[in-house]
Amino acid sequence: MIASLRSRIDGWFLSRRPPSDTLELTQRNVYIVPTRAGWLLGATLLVLLVASINYQLNLGYLLTFLLAGSVAVGMHVCHATLRGLAMHLMPPEPHYAGAAAVFRVVLHNTRRSVRYGIGMAVRGSGQWAWTDVPAEGSATVEIAFQPERRGLHPVPPLTAETRFPLGTFRVWTVWRPAAKMLVYPTPEAHPPPLPPGEPLSGPAATSAALRAQAAGEYDGLRAYRRGDPLKLVVWKKAARAQATGSEDLVSRDTQQTQREELWLDAQAAGLADTEARLSRLCAWVLMADRLGVDYGIRVAGRVLQPSQGEAHRRACLEALALC
Amino acid sequence: MNKFLREISALPRDARDTLFLLIVIALIVLPQAENLPWWCTAITAMVLVYRGTLAVEARPLPGKWARVGLLALALAATFATHRTLLGRDAGVTLVVILLALKTLELRARRDAFVLFFLGFFAMLTNFFYSQSLMTAVTMLLALLGLLTALVNAHMPVGKPPLMLAARTASWMALLGAPIMLALFLLFPRLAPLWGTPSDAMAGRTGLSNTMRVGTIAQLAMDDGIAARIKFENDRVPPQSQLYFRGPVLAQFDGREWTALPPWSRGAPASSNLRTSGQPVRYEVTLEPSHRPWLLTVDAAQSPPEVPGFEVLGTPDLQWLANRPISDLVRYRAESFTQFQSGPTRQTAALRPYLALPPGSNPRTAALAAQMHAEPALANADTPAFVQAALQRLRTGGYTYTLEPGFYGNDTADEFWFDRKEGFCEHIASAFVVLMRGLGIPARIVTGYQGGELNGVDNYWVLRQSDAHAWAEVWQEGVGWTRVDPTGAVSPGRIGQFQRLVPQPGLFAGAIGTLSPTLAQNVRAAWEAVNNSWNQWVLNYTQSRQLNLLKSIGFGAPSLEDLAYVLLYLLVGASLAGAGWALWERSQHDPWLRLLAQARARLAKAGLEVPETAPPRQMAAQAEARFGPSALSVRDWLLKLEAQRYAKASPESLAALRTEFRRLAWPEPAPRR
Repeated sequence: MIASLRSRIDGWFLSRRPPSDTLELTQRNVYIVPTRAGWLLGATLLVLLVASINYQLNLGYLLTFLLAGSVAVGMHVCHATLRGLAMHLMPPEPHYAGAAAVFRVVLHNTRRSVRYGIGMAVRGSGQWAWTDVPAEGSATVEIAFQPERRGLHPVPPLTAETRFPLGTFRVWTVWRPAAKMLVYPTPEAHPPPLPPGEPLSGPAATSAALRAQAAGEYDGLRAYRRGDPLKLVVWKKAARAQATGSEDLVSRDTQQTQREELWLDAQAAGLADTEARLSRLCAWVLMADRLGVDYGIRVAGRVLQPSQGEAHRRACLEALALC
Repeated sequence: MNKFLREISALPRDARDTLFLLIVIALIVLPQAENLPWWCTAITAMVLVYRGTLAVEARPLPGKWARVGLLALALAATFATHRTLLGRDAGVTLVVILLALKTLELRARRDAFVLFFLGFFAMLTNFFYSQSLMTAVTMLLALLGLLTALVNAHMPVGKPPLMLAARTASWMALLGAPIMLALFLLFPRLAPLWGTPSDAMAGRTGLSNTMRVGTIAQLAMDDGIAARIKFENDRVPPQSQLYFRGPVLAQFDGREWTALPPWSRGAPASSNLRTSGQPVRYEVTLEPSHRPWLLTVDAAQSPPEVPGFEVLGTPDLQWLANRPISDLVRYRAESFTQFQSGPTRQTAALRPYLALPPGSNPRTAALAAQMHAEPALANADTPAFVQAALQRLRTGGYTYTLEPGFYGNDTADEFWFDRKEGFCEHIASAFVVLMRGLGIPARIVTGYQGGELNGVDNYWVLRQSDAHAWAEVWQEGVGWTRVDPTGAVSPGRIGQFQRLVPQPGLFAGAIGTLSPTLAQNVRAAWEAVNNSWNQWVLNYTQSRQLNLLKSIGFGAPSLEDLAYVLLYLLVGASLAGAGWALWERSQHDPWLRLLAQARARLAKAGLEVPETAPPRQMAAQAEARFGPSALSVRDWLLKLEAQRYAKASPESLAALRTEFRRLAWPEPAPRR
């Protein structure tokens, strides 16, 4: 009951602020409450005061009031540590669900004094990253975070906090960034080996077969790509090609030797649970990418033709994340 | 020292912070070390040093059982020393020992906070023993130290130099000082909320209301100041007439003199004071004695005006406040140094002044009988007997000493016949016993005699070492008259600067050997500073608070008015703070504000421009969107740009602002 009420209040509290990737902290969005230590210090002050009254110690009054004055000033210093700070969220990188990830937040300080002891965390995670922001400068904080579910999620609410200088007050703010973050499925920890390749079929198969016939070799060939090592270049063929007027080099294409295509298919993963299947596909994608073979995926009605490279891997993982 | 500091700051952060905190704790405990039980000081010192080595060598803290064992030991020792765990002295011991033991348990943030709070308490306990300027300065340093440690503990990143934290702490204290001042001036000074435990008076020196032979000698070693007197027009009476009257003691049990119970002293009116000569007017600043006695020059006819107290007189010419003086007080009084008092005829009220404990001091009684029998003193009157006794003191080989040794049961006998040396209390006591033996009513008056002038601020300073005991004898037709038998033994004790001087301290001794006058001047200057500290800080009492209110225009101020003024100040400060916050918000660049207004106006017309767009880009976008209708806006925007960035700005910002208001803005495009 109380928990649900609390979460409703929390939701209302969060919905009050419009999401934005940049937040300037002002009087309106910085909050302050005494900490437990603050209450304890208050009690200490009271005892000091009573002792001063009872023993009629004028110096005791001075001590009590100077301490109280310093604490009052400390309250303002604490609030000013956050007030006027500008926070900017760097576009979040995609992450794997369940793996440790970070958000990068840049804190800008236009003031001519240093802001000390600012902690940032994903709200409720308790994993604080502490930083000082130099005078008229900026600092980058990496906020630890563990995404739980795959998909495209809004960045969770972040919170910044400081207890500087005396620890008697907690000044904090809640920030709802507008950016979305892509979370890939968790790669399965110990995936089975890649599935066997499927025989080539369709136009790709025929063209490959034709190419193989024309070459009279089993080695596949393909056009030279930037970055291919020179020893992969088939110099004979390159010379023959140049003789026919083409400028292109020809590389030996080792993958084509398989004459088979690697298809990572959700149906073929052999698991009943969708998430587990996606996990396995994710692991396979990474494995195939590491091996440097072409691979395609078929998942939830989406098909990505076999290919390889960074962009292809991203596209596959994205498809896995969003299906 | 510098090398030491450098070595400390080269330590890893944990070790450095711990060492710094230990040093601050030592600074807090050190000034009160002499007032703590020896074992408490020893354990504290040992624990602090041990903790320091642990920190430097990065060794683990002692286990839980070692700490619990030490705590139990400390509790037991506290109980054994004070016979209680409550009350002031036991409390101070406990606070200090807990503070030391807590350093062995510095793990969580909570531990650190407990340590800080114990530290604040331990600072306050210093003031039980001393509220001097030195203590105040030391504790100010300690407070800054604790705040520095606290600030440093809240700088979690890296290893910031301690100076940074110290600077923040000092700034906070400096900015907090006005708050302190306002609260100090205006926080109503209340009477103690409940009775202070009796041991609040322990450890304070001063006269007591009994005189056991040997106690004033302790005071003679005490250089503390009992009172400061400012004589009107700096007319100081001769020093030999400066007797400051304290308790009058008339009841003797053989060893100890006590005051007569109130019912046998007679009505206050019976003091029957008869004065002659010119009165002396003066103002006394009395140090807290925790006794109700108000020191006045012998003898004051009218009660001294003590703000905040009711004053009543006793039949033996003492003035008492209605409660103990637990605070520095200041009052004016008027005295006559030539006076007589008491009944002039023999009455029953005089009988207690003749009583002697039966069987004590037999040889003194025999001496009295012998004097009665002397032909020279046949039919002699009281003055003749007094003169005879004083003559005996002068010529009988009696000496004045601060260290007369231990006296037995018949103190008067021992003084008159055996030891023949003593301090004012021995002499006065023996003298009064002899007088009573002779049948002359006599009593002992305790108080202070003499004093000295502080040349720097012209205050007359009365020290505890000026404590004195003298006698009063009653004479038919005259009343009570003062007789100071000590003067007969040691004329130097009365009326001159020569006191028996106790061994000076190390520092004073060093200066004294260099130049006695320099030592005196330094001391005079120091005491003048101390006096103004007393006058302005320690003597800031309820009456002065009310005077302050009077001076700012309150007719008949009360404590509630103080609270109101404080409240008004608080409200005023809050309003000022709110105003400042508003002002701060408006302190954005006026040029940027104007640009933002233009952006908002364009948005209203249907053109959203990003916040980061400069005027030129806004102008281009407006022109592209609205065509010729936006020309004037474009021109204005370009002028705005020139205002900021052109070398010689053609137009003032104010002019641009006026123009902005008159500008024809394009109409929003109709929705399709």
